[in-house]
Amino acid sequence: MSVRRFVEDLLRGRRARGFRPDDEEAAQMRAAIELRAGRAGSGAASEEFVADLRRRLATELDEDDRAVPIRSGRRRVLQFGSVAAAGLAVGAVATRAASTPADVAEGPLVPNDGTWTRVAASTDLPDGGVRGFDVDGVTGFVRRDGGQVAAVSGICTHQGCALRLDAPARELRCPCHRTSFAVNGTLVSHQLPTPPRALPTLSVREADGGIEVLAPPP
Amino acid sequence: MARIGGQADDLPPEGRPRELRVVSDDTYADWRAVYEDNVDRIHRLMFAKVGNRADAEDLTAEVFLAALGPARLDRSIGEVRAYLLATARTVLARHWRTTMGREITAIDDDQIEAVRQDDPVSDAPQRAAAILDELPERDRRILSLRFLQAYSIKDAAVALGVTVANAKVLQHRALRRAAQLGGGRA
Repeated sequence: MSVRRFVEDLLRGRRARGFRPDDEEAAQMRAAIELRAGRAGSGAASEEFVADLRRRLATELDEDDRAVPIRSGRRRVLQFGSVAAAGLAVGAVATRAASTPADVAEGPLVPNDGTWTRVAASTDLPDGGVRGFDVDGVTGFVRRDGGQVAAVSGICTHQGCALRLDAPARELRCPCHRTSFAVNGTLVSHQLPTPPRALPTLSVREADGGIEVLAPPP
Repeated sequence: MARIGGQADDLPPEGRPRELRVVSDDTYADWRAVYEDNVDRIHRLMFAKVGNRADAEDLTAEVFLAALGPARLDRSIGEVRAYLLATARTVLARHWRTTMGREITAIDDDQIEAVRQDDPVSDAPQRAAAILDELPERDRRILSLRFLQAYSIKDAAVALGVTVANAKVLQHRALRRAAQLGGGRA
């Protein structure tokens, strides 16, 4: 049934939905793709897409990446755009596994004049649970692991888009550029020229049956 | 003096002949030049490999977002293209592994070479025709109507003089036969 759905989506111009095809199904999918790709004039990039992607690239390459601070061990180095970037690494992966030291966070987010602000009832956060919150001045995610509560910022460190919780994967995903973070804030994957930093952690405590984070004053 | 294009007054003040370079040694001025020269090429290639515009656009964007930052612009145009293509190959392979758990189509070395050499990338119509040519007439008609001529299943049924349910069965069987002809080709 799934290969039929794949073909139906293909003919309706929809993106492919995942399933686990066997050899026979994979061969049918290949044939369907080749036939569909053979339709006259169907492979050209649309002007709208070309313009949109040009704008996206300009924000990545013209402004952000002039001087990108990255952390190399204890040492902070400045990497200047493409000039200092690695050479012609054929086969570079697009969504990189985050293994570089650059995924170290700046440190905990501690407002100068913070106040403890309730973000959830203790009973709303069972062990292993993750929960988003949005209070005055801070957006983030609290979680409970082994009884301990912890929290991270819910704003992507790349360009500030609000992250979304993928609860089954225990990941926080950025809707803007497909960056994803683990619920503890470490970078999991990204498609950017340089890896964005890990998410800042927030101070969090449990008091009076509630979970509170140290947020800026309202 | 052998020169390509330009008038005599294009010469630098010193009157020195301009260095002439073949295309393969030329370089791109900046990332925008890389983008403008290759975005349609990469998109066409991705479309031929996934068959739908939404995925082709996502994957094309992924290629440029990943490759333009690290790309060395002091390399020749051919080398920069090869780098884009190698990135495209990785991006496509990951797309299939993520969605389907295995690679369905792949970018092969011949295609990388063709793009590097600036050969026309799209042999898609010929590939589709080659599949159809090997099939019995009935299979060829339903597949051609549905895949190449964008007929709805209803319209295809009318054109073939069968019921919609029959047209669905015909299409499914025809595609299975087409797949068997394709063998292990990616």
